[in-house]
Amino acid sequence: MKKVFINIMFVLSFLLLFFTVANLFADDFVEAFSPDFFPKDKRLNISACQRWSEDVRDFHVNGQDKADQISVLMYHRVIEDNHISEEHLDNNGLLKKTIIRKSAFEKQMQALKDAHYTTLTPKEFLLFMEGKLDIPKKSILLTFDDGYKDNVVEVYPILKKHGFKALNFVITEAITEKKQSYNPEKHQYLSVNEIEKSCDVFSFQSHTYNYHKENEKEEAYLVYKPQQDIEEDISISLVNLDQNNLSFAYPFGEYNQQTIQSLQKLGFKMAFTTEYKDAKPGMNMYEIPRKEVFPEDTVEDFKHKINMK
Amino acid sequence: MLAFTLVLFTIFIIFQLLYIFFPLLFAKPGKGFEKLEEEKGFSIIIPAFNEQKIILDCIKGMVNLQYQNYEAIFVNDGSTDETLELLTSHLQLEPTKRKLPAIKIPHQRVNEVYRSKLFPKIFVIDKHNGGKADSLNAGTEYSVKKFIVTLDADSVLDPKALQALNSAFEDERVLAAGGMVQIGQGFEGNYLKPTPTFKKSGIIKYQVLQYLTSFYLHKLTQTKMKSIIVIAGAFGAFRKEALLAVDGYRKTVGEDMDITLRLHQLIKTTKKYQHMKLIFVPYALCYTECPESFKDLYNQRIRWQKAFIDCVLYYKKSFIKKLGVRVSTFFLLESLLLGTINAFFLILIPIMFLFNQDHYMIAVALFTITVLLSSYQSIATVIVSNRYGITYSLSNYIKIALFIPFEVITYRLLGILFVINGTVGYFKNKDSWYVSKRIGTNSSFVDDKTYEHNQAV
Repeated sequence: MKKVFINIMFVLSFLLLFFTVANLFADDFVEAFSPDFFPKDKRLNISACQRWSEDVRDFHVNGQDKADQISVLMYHRVIEDNHISEEHLDNNGLLKKTIIRKSAFEKQMQALKDAHYTTLTPKEFLLFMEGKLDIPKKSILLTFDDGYKDNVVEVYPILKKHGFKALNFVITEAITEKKQSYNPEKHQYLSVNEIEKSCDVFSFQSHTYNYHKENEKEEAYLVYKPQQDIEEDISISLVNLDQNNLSFAYPFGEYNQQTIQSLQKLGFKMAFTTEYKDAKPGMNMYEIPRKEVFPEDTVEDFKHKINMK
Repeated sequence: MLAFTLVLFTIFIIFQLLYIFFPLLFAKPGKGFEKLEEEKGFSIIIPAFNEQKIILDCIKGMVNLQYQNYEAIFVNDGSTDETLELLTSHLQLEPTKRKLPAIKIPHQRVNEVYRSKLFPKIFVIDKHNGGKADSLNAGTEYSVKKFIVTLDADSVLDPKALQALNSAFEDERVLAAGGMVQIGQGFEGNYLKPTPTFKKSGIIKYQVLQYLTSFYLHKLTQTKMKSIIVIAGAFGAFRKEALLAVDGYRKTVGEDMDITLRLHQLIKTTKKYQHMKLIFVPYALCYTECPESFKDLYNQRIRWQKAFIDCVLYYKKSFIKKLGVRVSTFFLLESLLLGTINAFFLILIPIMFLFNQDHYMIAVALFTITVLLSSYQSIATVIVSNRYGITYSLSNYIKIALFIPFEVITYRLLGILFVINGTVGYFKNKDSWYVSKRIGTNSSFVDDKTYEHNQAV
């Protein structure tokens, strides 16, 4: 009797502890064995939390304050000043074109805040471009390309602090299911977790699934690949993004008429290029220009860029 | 790399679970063994090489056996100290004549065979130095009983040990049996009525738990799986015909593992022996002295590991086919892969983390599971030991409970050091290693205490 009792206690306590431990670490094992690329059929659970993308405010603007054109700003990476290393510099020892110092970014956002700028939701911007919505002169659309991890680590808290919103064009294949620790020297992309955590500030839009590429002749995939392949790739990104097909950004800013047709077919309402201009209602909705923010831009340059004065 | 780690770890978990739950749930300690009226004859062979410090203790153990039909044969293997003189004076030896068996097994030349006037059951063979295996062969050849018990000079038999073996060999299928080797320092009081104690130094507590685990969990399980890897040289028992059938012992430091594998081969390859088996007899007890300093422990374990590697290489072509699937599985997967290769792997892990920190949570998980399994195995050891009569006092149990988690992350790790240094040492000093086996007479190695029991664990 005593023997049976001890055996039962032993087995039960062992099972309890063993499964507690197994449960505790199960996620880590799943992560370790999940593929390096984001699965084609995997859906991010973000539609609920970024429903604000469709929000349209009534700005009550009168004739004088009404914007007839606004700037769409384009960013890629934002890196903490102390983290800047060899990896982030080009051959001339200058910051690579796609990288902004965090201190500079903070000043730019502060400038927007101080001047009472409004960051538009994607829907507001769409309606403005279609001439259906009046917005204040001091309106701006923030966009981030590629979906880098630093967007959540560095940018997200700053935008959140100011109550700003932004578009984030992600290459969905690069999204990772693993919890990686942030290493500014590496090209790390957003994780599922980070996307789900930051979708109250970022509206995640498509930057293709896996077509952010060029061939050896430096022709972008979206320009030379067969239309069918292009459409397939972009549809996969839409599956990943839970069918959010409001807008698109062309990798390398490269596109042609075929690309535009494909986007229309897939139901996109607008697409962004990298042409350095302000956006005006009446422009082709699939050729919306954006102003890139450069690493060496001073606050004055920045203000000038967005016509603040 | 990660996949390989997890495969290795899965094998580890399977063996650990087997060793924990089989003895705990299925072993039947019952009420001990049944004492038989009829006594089978046992010849106890004790090789002795420069054992002057302990040889007299061993004699004490011999004369207290609660058994009649036995003889004790001390084999003085060309000792250069006072071993023979001590035996002569304390036993009042006088030369005697022995009838030799028809079957001979090779060993060094015997000078003289003596018999004690005081204890007529005790004999002494004085022979030229040839090593432990050689001494066992000489003892076997000169023995007259049907069963051979091999015993280390530093081991003392429990008074009822032969009764237990007598019952065990009642089963005709038992070819050989390993006894339960207890650590003498783990007991206090008179050895006729010893009481287990845990009030000892850490290094002894570590070995006490390890021996209990190795015998009560591992060997019990291996018996059931018909795959005992080693019948400890400290205390083993054999049908004499089996030892003769395999031409006795091979000259190697791992002679106990070697003879065990030879017997497995005999069972697997000979029709006559195909139904025979090797077992562990938990009620046949002997008490041995374990090393008390780290240096002695280190030397002992290095020797065991070298002996193990020697057997791996010697039998490398015999696995599966000649040794059978079960023995090969336990030997190759558990002893070689988990016991040896895994140790090398374990030291790689911290180095790998310096380069790649991606999987550190996996490492934490594996570590946690290892600690959990190891602790539970030790708890199972204590429970099963209790069922076989090793009952500690409450205060000792508290000490054990506190010691177990500590041991798992401290002393247990010493095993990695022993395995790695032993393996590297084996391959590095292969030549000197062969010399230290002392094939033939080599008085320059008299310091090498080759006579401690090998592979008790």
